[in-house]
Amino acid sequence: MKIEIKSDEDLDQYVICHKCHTLHQEVTIEDGSKALCSHCSSVLYHRDDHLLDKGLALSITGFIFFILANSFPLIKVDIMGQEQVITILSMIMRLIESEYYIVALFVTYLVFIFPLMIFMIYIVLFLLLKIGKGEEITKDLMILLSKILPWNMSDIFLISILVSLVKLMSMLEIHMGISFWTLAVFVMIDLYMTRSIHLGELWKLKKIIYKES
Amino acid sequence: MPTVDKERLIRCPVCEAVNIDHGKSNVCRRCKSKIYQHQKFNTEKSWAYLMTAIIFYIPANLYPMLVIKQFGQEEGSTIIGGVVLLWEMGSYPIAAVILFASVFVPVLKFLLLFYLLFSVKYSLGNDKKVDKHTIYYITEVIGPWSMIDVFVVAILAGLIHLSSIEMVAGTASTAFALSVFFTILAAQSFDERLIKEKR
Repeated sequence: MKIEIKSDEDLDQYVICHKCHTLHQEVTIEDGSKALCSHCSSVLYHRDDHLLDKGLALSITGFIFFILANSFPLIKVDIMGQEQVITILSMIMRLIESEYYIVALFVTYLVFIFPLMIFMIYIVLFLLLKIGKGEEITKDLMILLSKILPWNMSDIFLISILVSLVKLMSMLEIHMGISFWTLAVFVMIDLYMTRSIHLGELWKLKKIIYKES
Repeated sequence: MPTVDKERLIRCPVCEAVNIDHGKSNVCRRCKSKIYQHQKFNTEKSWAYLMTAIIFYIPANLYPMLVIKQFGQEEGSTIIGGVVLLWEMGSYPIAAVILFASVFVPVLKFLLLFYLLFSVKYSLGNDKKVDKHTIYYITEVIGPWSMIDVFVVAILAGLIHLSSIEMVAGTASTAFALSVFFTILAAQSFDERLIKEKR
């Protein structure tokens, strides 16, 4: 089937499903609703008129919760009368001490550096889009974001904490630390953001914002 | 008026923009990233990553994942050994989670990638009905979940280190982390356009 393309601009009215690669023509939808793929019914795009405010609020909240999750103990155990605590950073230090450098490197990047980077990029990105300045920087940030998003594994780390808790439950007394709950909130914000904010929508928004100014 | 074949429209993996496929090398009109920079029909990169991942998966299963040092005695348990131990202790859900994340997911991913890489190069009879885009999507989604075991080992090693009882990471954790890393790279370097070419 042929379609008419006069310039590159015309291509912006089409969208390709990220899951099954079916081509769709974009239609205007109501605020707050989403368009689904006709073939595999995964989400194609959302319409959200307050995307910037919402995104900025969520990314700042997520950032605060991430800082909190790293400043208090995640788990506390009573073992033979001695109390042991763990934070994400102490866990990494322990891996380095026992000379597992490669595992330490992976853990550092996957559960500390990448999540931190993603939320810092989100904050800068939404701020720049809001004030409508720095077109080049927003472009570079969005490209960087798309490269590191698949490497964020905080959600998997949260499940791992639960698994290790159940593993230890039979032999020790375990208490959840404050950071466990803040990490859980952080993961929820993170999941919500990756589900509700597609990068393609930000690119479209960027085009509108910088065209006006 | 110029017209473009629908089949020639491709999706930029970085910014999701719709682009016209110009053949060998494409540059995205919106974010200027290269789309499919590996030349025509190249599956070598993906094969290389996949092979590396499979090679690392062997020591990951042979060496101990977690070593428990208790009263001067050292006891290591491999991935399968750990699952069996948990099953005998009666924690069936956790045994199932570990079995799923460390054995089922990596093996499934190897097989799916094998199938994808083979099927885009050689026609495997009547496989046109198989939705390869969905298969590719599955390999991308389930991939990171095999990291659970590595994270668990890191948490346990960080939590329990007393003079009388100590848990340390085993050799397998390094091999396993590398294996997962390379399967993710293999999936990412797979050229999705190849699926379309053979359809």
